Amino acid sequence: MSDDSTLDQLRQCADDTFRKLQGLGTESDLADAKRLVEELRNAREYPCMGRLAEAVSRHDPKDPRNRRLYAQYLIETGKATAAIDLLKPLAQRLPKDHAEFAEATGLLGRAYKQIFFDAGDKTSAGSREALKQAIMAYRKPFEDNPANTWHGVNLVALLARARRLGLRVAPDLKPQEVARKVVVALEATPENNRDEWFLPTLAEASLGLGDWDAVERNIRAYAANRDTKAFLIASTLRQFREVWDLENVDDQGRGIVAALRARLLELPGGGLDLSPAELHNVRAAPPPTDGQLEAVLGVQGPKTFQWWKTGVERAVAVASIRQQLGGRIGTGFLVRAGDFGLDPKDELLVLTNFHVVNEHGAGDGIPPAGAEIVFEAGAPNQLYLVERILWTSPPDRHDASLLRLKSPVTGLEPLPLAKALPVLEDTVQVYIIGHPGGRDLAFSFQDNELLDHEGPPAGKPQIPGVCRVHYQAPTEGGSSGSPVFNATLWQVVALHHKGGKLSMPKLNGKEGTYGANEGISMLSIRDAIATDHGRLPT
Amino acid sequence: MPHVTFIHGISNKPPADDLLRIWRNALANATEPLPLGDLGVTSSMVYWADLLYEKPEEDSSAYEGVLENTAEAIDGAGDAPLPVPRTPQEAAFLKGLRARLTTLSDKDLATTEPPPVPAEPQGALERVPLPWFIKKRFLNAHLRDVHHYLFDVEFALPGKPPVRIQRTIRQRFVEALGAINVSSPHIVVSHSMGTVIAYDCLKRVGDCPPVDGLITIGSPLGLDEIQDQLQPGWTRDDGFPHEKVRGDWANLFDRLDPVCGFDPKLANDYRKSGVAAIEDLAVQNDGTWRHSATKYLRQASFCATLRRMLGV
Repeated sequence: MSDDSTLDQLRQCADDTFRKLQGLGTESDLADAKRLVEELRNAREYPCMGRLAEAVSRHDPKDPRNRRLYAQYLIETGKATAAIDLLKPLAQRLPKDHAEFAEATGLLGRAYKQIFFDAGDKTSAGSREALKQAIMAYRKPFEDNPANTWHGVNLVALLARARRLGLRVAPDLKPQEVARKVVVALEATPENNRDEWFLPTLAEASLGLGDWDAVERNIRAYAANRDTKAFLIASTLRQFREVWDLENVDDQGRGIVAALRARLLELPGGGLDLSPAELHNVRAAPPPTDGQLEAVLGVQGPKTFQWWKTGVERAVAVASIRQQLGGRIGTGFLVRAGDFGLDPKDELLVLTNFHVVNEHGAGDGIPPAGAEIVFEAGAPNQLYLVERILWTSPPDRHDASLLRLKSPVTGLEPLPLAKALPVLEDTVQVYIIGHPGGRDLAFSFQDNELLDHEGPPAGKPQIPGVCRVHYQAPTEGGSSGSPVFNATLWQVVALHHKGGKLSMPKLNGKEGTYGANEGISMLSIRDAIATDHGRLPT
Repeated sequence: MPHVTFIHGISNKPPADDLLRIWRNALANATEPLPLGDLGVTSSMVYWADLLYEKPEEDSSAYEGVLENTAEAIDGAGDAPLPVPRTPQEAAFLKGLRARLTTLSDKDLATTEPPPVPAEPQGALERVPLPWFIKKRFLNAHLRDVHHYLFDVEFALPGKPPVRIQRTIRQRFVEALGAINVSSPHIVVSHSMGTVIAYDCLKRVGDCPPVDGLITIGSPLGLDEIQDQLQPGWTRDDGFPHEKVRGDWANLFDRLDPVCGFDPKLANDYRKSGVAAIEDLAVQNDGTWRHSATKYLRQASFCATLRRMLGV
């Protein structure tokens, strides 16, 4: 069973249990709900998790585990102060030797830490106070029991950050000494008791000691593993970037972050959000040496990084489509006219969805005269206007509009088109680069499992001349008009046009629906344009 | 859409699906990546290890092991026993093939101490800097598997009915080439003993479907002992299987590969109407074990050759 269908089942199960708790709700339903809250947390299904945790709280308001998980939902969805209001009384009422006490105080530290990192000005009084509170929250459980190494390692990281900022917090603590205690506690853990967090924690504690060789060695021990999990890499990456600010320390730190970023995107379930400025920095930064990439990611490290750099370069040709004097309404990307059989062959055009830009602004779309196009990573200060729509196909067919711009695009490379759809074998990944709704300044690199398509050899297109592609629905909607890339070569295989949480009918005559995104094969768009213009692409 | 049919070589292997995935991944992770699936190229594997080995290797990471400290990592998985010849002809074949690999006696190899390094002449395996307890597993598998195929031995695994090895593998190869999901251009990629099987079928099995190209890697087809067993069918002047191979035949070899290094080039031995028609390509695999299929698959010249034949 794919991860996608497992996720669908989990969501369905959570919905069913939620409805039961809204009714009479038995003890058994309550127990199921408590288990599901944790499973939803592990799957990062936060909205669903929060709704169920709220329902559990109404039935069993004193369950400390559920309260703590509820607080985690609040933190993950940007409500850190509400989480603090929940966690403080929880920590106060729990006995110090209760298993949930250390968890609740640690999470309290996490909430304050989030407030600090979300602050634009890290030196403001509010953010300094949050940093101070976070340090205090992590300190107590670690000093009570050094086996609480995740508290300890966060304490090390925050102390180091406070010292760099010149803040006088916990002056009696020296980050290196705390780091040493964490390393000692970790190394004393019997091998069969070491969980999946052991190596990431050891790597971070080694950073506190300034032992770069140990940092790279410990990261490699899990990051280079073929079966490593995306959330482990994501966690290390977040700590190293946000807490340690490693990219601004030195080249070695920057190299580690770059390597982790590349590895994260490579893994199933991995994904990255970068602001245009971050994307610019990633492009501009000197690449890590092959030696460092091998030290952090193993022998495949240089290749993994090169692959990621190619993806970054592709992002440069991805544009946001904006309504004049309004906000961003979709995504588009740069293509070469000759790839669609159009002249002049080397003219650069923009492809997006019909429902984003169409002649009369039908549906939620806008007319070409009202559209502005900005390549936010490639030419952020240059605004392009649309001269006219060269070719268009409505949403029930290709949902595509090919735009000619008023001024020529220079200095940017068009996206290469794949000559075939990926073969459906094993687990096939595709990648989407776009600007999802709700995060107006973010480029999102999403990894998605390819579910099905109507292309050769087994596809049975239902709409003549249209070949649809289905891939796993991301946790977030949006990205209309984004390019969908094949996994290895970063060539465009489809134009993304819609998503469905659970209601997307399956393709090729298969019964039922699933949670899927839908794109239109670039080959079918190319062929439709070539047919309409009576010539073959060159 | 283009299709690649792979066929593997000697010794036990991971399960068929895993082996196909490993080979595809090797191409996708090559220096010049050739991700077949992303390029719209379908692929399949002619799997025959299950005829000679009880169950597949479960630890596929050992098969891919870069440390080369296990028999699995050097094409020696499965603990095959030495074959027992049934006729003087088979005995002569085994003796000749063995001599290509080692000049050490069975007695030398049976001792627990490292066998003495012989003075000249040395066999190919003597030059491989790995312990003999690993190399011996490869030697046995090589002799057993090649012998059982070429002499069509009737062989039974415990609890299973006996099967004729050559006949059954030929059948699988022919069926795979004619499968409904196979379309043009269709290229056969064969490794080690798989090159012998592919050649045998394409040259000597009448109802074998035609293909558009053939690639052999780490092939023992250059050895006289093998060529002798491919008659009738093979001749030096007309050895190219032009009846069934419509396009090119490319052969990749590493001179330090013990299987093919003794006589690595094929162009002169498999001519088309007396003219050399095979493209022999020398490569240099990494590590101490140069025969590994995935090392050949990752070579830039391999990927370039396959890409050209597939037209992608």
